[in-house]
Amino acid sequence: MSKDAFPSSPAPDTRPAHRERLFHARGISKIYSGEVEVRALDGVDLELFRGELVVLLGASGSGKSTLLNILGGLDVPTEGTLHYRDEDLTHADAGALTDFRREVVGFIFQFYNLIPSLTARENVALITELAEAPMEPDEALRLVDLADRMDHFPSQMSGGQQQRVAIARAIAKRPEVLLCDEPTGALDINTGITVLEAIEQVNRDLGTLVIIITHNASIADMADRVIHLRDGRITEIHENAVRLPVRSLSW
Amino acid sequence: MHPLNSKLFRDLRSIKGQVIAVALVMACGLAVLIMARSLVRSLEVTRGEYYRENRFAEVFADLERAPNALRARLAELPGVSALDTRVRGALILDLPGIREPADGVIYSVPDDRPQQLNLLRLRQGRLPALGANTEVVVGEAFAAAHGFGPGHEIEATIYGARERLRIVGVALSPEFVYEARPGDALPDHRRFGVFWMNERRLASALGLDGAFNNVVIDVAPGADAREVMARLDELLEPYGGQIAFDRGEQASARQLSDEITILRDSSVAFVAIFLGIAAFMTSAALTRLIRLQREQIAQLKAFGYGSLAVGAHYFKFALVIVALGSLLGTALGLSMGRAVTVVYRRFFLFPELDFHPDWTGVLVGCLIATAFCLLGVSGAVWQAVKLHPAEAMRPEPPAHFRRSPIERLGLHRLASPTMRMALRNLERKPWQSFFTVLGLALATAIPIVPGAMRDGIAYLMDFQWSQAQRQDATVSFIEPGSASAWSAVDNLPGVLAAEIFRGVPTRLQHGHLERRVTVMGLPRNARLNRLLDARGRAVGMPADGLLLSAKLAEVLRLRPGDPIRVEVQEGNRPVLDTVLAGTITDFSGVGAYMDIDALRRLMREGGTISGAHLMLDHARHDDFLAAVKKSPRIGALLLTASARESFAETTAEVMGTVQAIYLAFAVVVAFGVVYNGARIALSERTRDLATLRVVGFHPRDVAAVLVGELVVLTAIAIPFGLYLGGRLARLVIELSSTETVRLPLVLDARSYATAVLVVLVSSALSFAVVSRRLHNLNMLSVLNARD
Repeated sequence: MSKDAFPSSPAPDTRPAHRERLFHARGISKIYSGEVEVRALDGVDLELFRGELVVLLGASGSGKSTLLNILGGLDVPTEGTLHYRDEDLTHADAGALTDFRREVVGFIFQFYNLIPSLTARENVALITELAEAPMEPDEALRLVDLADRMDHFPSQMSGGQQQRVAIARAIAKRPEVLLCDEPTGALDINTGITVLEAIEQVNRDLGTLVIIITHNASIADMADRVIHLRDGRITEIHENAVRLPVRSLSW
Repeated sequence: MHPLNSKLFRDLRSIKGQVIAVALVMACGLAVLIMARSLVRSLEVTRGEYYRENRFAEVFADLERAPNALRARLAELPGVSALDTRVRGALILDLPGIREPADGVIYSVPDDRPQQLNLLRLRQGRLPALGANTEVVVGEAFAAAHGFGPGHEIEATIYGARERLRIVGVALSPEFVYEARPGDALPDHRRFGVFWMNERRLASALGLDGAFNNVVIDVAPGADAREVMARLDELLEPYGGQIAFDRGEQASARQLSDEITILRDSSVAFVAIFLGIAAFMTSAALTRLIRLQREQIAQLKAFGYGSLAVGAHYFKFALVIVALGSLLGTALGLSMGRAVTVVYRRFFLFPELDFHPDWTGVLVGCLIATAFCLLGVSGAVWQAVKLHPAEAMRPEPPAHFRRSPIERLGLHRLASPTMRMALRNLERKPWQSFFTVLGLALATAIPIVPGAMRDGIAYLMDFQWSQAQRQDATVSFIEPGSASAWSAVDNLPGVLAAEIFRGVPTRLQHGHLERRVTVMGLPRNARLNRLLDARGRAVGMPADGLLLSAKLAEVLRLRPGDPIRVEVQEGNRPVLDTVLAGTITDFSGVGAYMDIDALRRLMREGGTISGAHLMLDHARHDDFLAAVKKSPRIGALLLTASARESFAETTAEVMGTVQAIYLAFAVVVAFGVVYNGARIALSERTRDLATLRVVGFHPRDVAAVLVGELVVLTAIAIPFGLYLGGRLARLVIELSSTETVRLPLVLDARSYATAVLVVLVSSALSFAVVSRRLHNLNMLSVLNARD
């Protein structure tokens, strides 16, 4: 991982009283009505703050992906209210949600979801073209230590490299929120560690709110807060007194 | 139902749009084939029955005059199984309520013996009664055009004598299935008719008492018609006989067989192109489906289904599509055939023209479509067959991309990332791109054909009636006349200028090739009836040698400077060995021309003329027409304006249908090809497109990625399609060009613009349908799934 300094930004004040609240969810539920009604999310209250690194833990079907999707503007809750800063996301239409994703959110997926027909640099450029004050694609790729892979196509890179391109793509537009859905799920442990380091560095240096969902409990130690979900409800919110450096994690 | 078959039908339902698109393209190709084959069969069956039942003659000859006693000798000629001698003349009709005269031909029906050949098929009334002097039977088309029936009376001038004729019957004759004035490309049933009258009465009216001037012969089975014609020529020579001819040169029979040839030839190219495109579309759709079903295929194989069963399963997709296409194509082909049969009934006068579906043709067409389609999908099916179960259980390796050659030239900086996605996707699938381009090019090409036809017709009309034939009217004499005939014409009221001509029936020979043609002697510096070259420039009449229609020169394989023999079939029958001085351009019939003075020298005659082209004073038009109706010498009158108007009316009717069919085909192909291509692209790149949606691209931005590909393909396809359209129009026009009528190839900007518009609009509509799916794209399920 490159140790080059990220573009300087004031270190966020993460003391509770001064924390800048980004998300504010009140009693949000998501109900999928089909032949059988499924309550994927059931009355969740949650506040998320700038500069935090939050891990959402839960088994399959616990509702963590649903929560992430709603926070990311990919979906809207069936009940309850959700605000991002002062913006009401509960009743936002598709266009407003698209703009929200475009301006605020960076996504990282388990399966990278790079565009196979574009090189690493072009995959990043695809996003920076949409953003108002993005980094240069080359800069974003240097941050994830891929300066020598910029002109490679996805098929010419390893899984870890592809995931780092995905991170570069996500952070290049300097998002306030970075949502990571099982970012190490398809990677071996060593590669997973480098990827998590990159994510941690983004959180630390850019003050980005990072939310990682995983069912890998070992990752929880790198978080400020760990939120446990079961059957669509938050069962526990645990604050780590000390965030462990990623290098010391193992699974 | 076997579970695999249930899977087949559910899978087909999931790609039903593509199935329908492919089936429609296939149906277009099959429809053309089935329509053409069925029309050929309908015309052939109907013609065969009609000719047989009404004993249509096989050999025909005109002569000046021979005594009826010669009939017995003619009948004894070896190879003659039946024979009729007839009297034939021209008449001019003065019809109430119609200012201009109509004209026609009149034939005798025997009144002392049964009719042997070319039997009339009475549709109303009866034949002229024995000894009845003024009774006539009239051809059905003319009767219908004027509402005539038994009991009506008409005023006519036959051989200079005014007659009041009483219609007693309405009939059809196998001799006039196509009833157009000699030399005219299209029938004009209001202004030209055929009549029959008692032989003795007609002979007397034409000054041929006890004589005949026309012979028709049926050749005995096994006998050689050429020998019969040769003997007939020999026998008739002393009687002013002209060269005998067979059905190949009989105007009506020839027109009919030309039409059959055109139908047979022109359908083949279309069928091959449409079926080829349909086969590719099926192949592309199936290739994609098989790729999506890798894991299912692996499971089937793991469970013990053999390669044969898997291969057969995927072949069935193609078979279902072929079955659907065949069904649609057959239905469409048969109904188009029925519709065209209705149009044919106006041109080809049969007692009954029924539509006879060519079921062999249908079967052959469906088999060809099946073969095309199975061949097209065999590559895709092979992929499924050879897939190893263990390998197939793993996701497909990531797609390989590289920079396109254009990018390697450094031009990529000009393209946005989305455009680069488009370019690289296309480059990665060159065959798919190629066939999509081909399909779109074809869709661009198709509407150019009716456009070219329409413009060709407009050009033809302008060329023929504004540039070449600038006369207002052409009059022909009953028989060639001299100075007095000339003054009779010149003194007609309203004639401002007259240009004489002399027509002589001849046989032109070049090597073993020959044609019966009337050589027209024209004045050197004609100003009214001009001979033009392909560019519309006047061709000067040479003092020596012949000018021929380019088509006639082609038929006789003559080039300017080549020797040609002219055997005159009139008078002393002189023979002239001369050369082809040049060719002229014309579009209807074929002609041979020479300097009128040279022709007269050849004929050893003074100022003989056959008729004249006239320029008229429009203020005295009615006086002129009235005078012509009464003139005893004039056998036929052709008004340029009427000919032009009738031609325009007739072609407009047909062109409307032709244009609609071509347009529908172009839309089906463009829509189908784009739809199929876009659906496959959408399916292949669902993940990419979902990613773009997730990271903040609006649906319209995402659609732009797919549009990018389409735009690139269309941009390549359109110029190619315009070129292809020009070639296709040339091919269609060449295939439908006959000695009777041919169209010039005129490709103007409007045809091209229409073609581009048709393709762009159909593509846009088709794309709009597909892009609606982008809104319903389930971003999440796509992104969280493995490839």
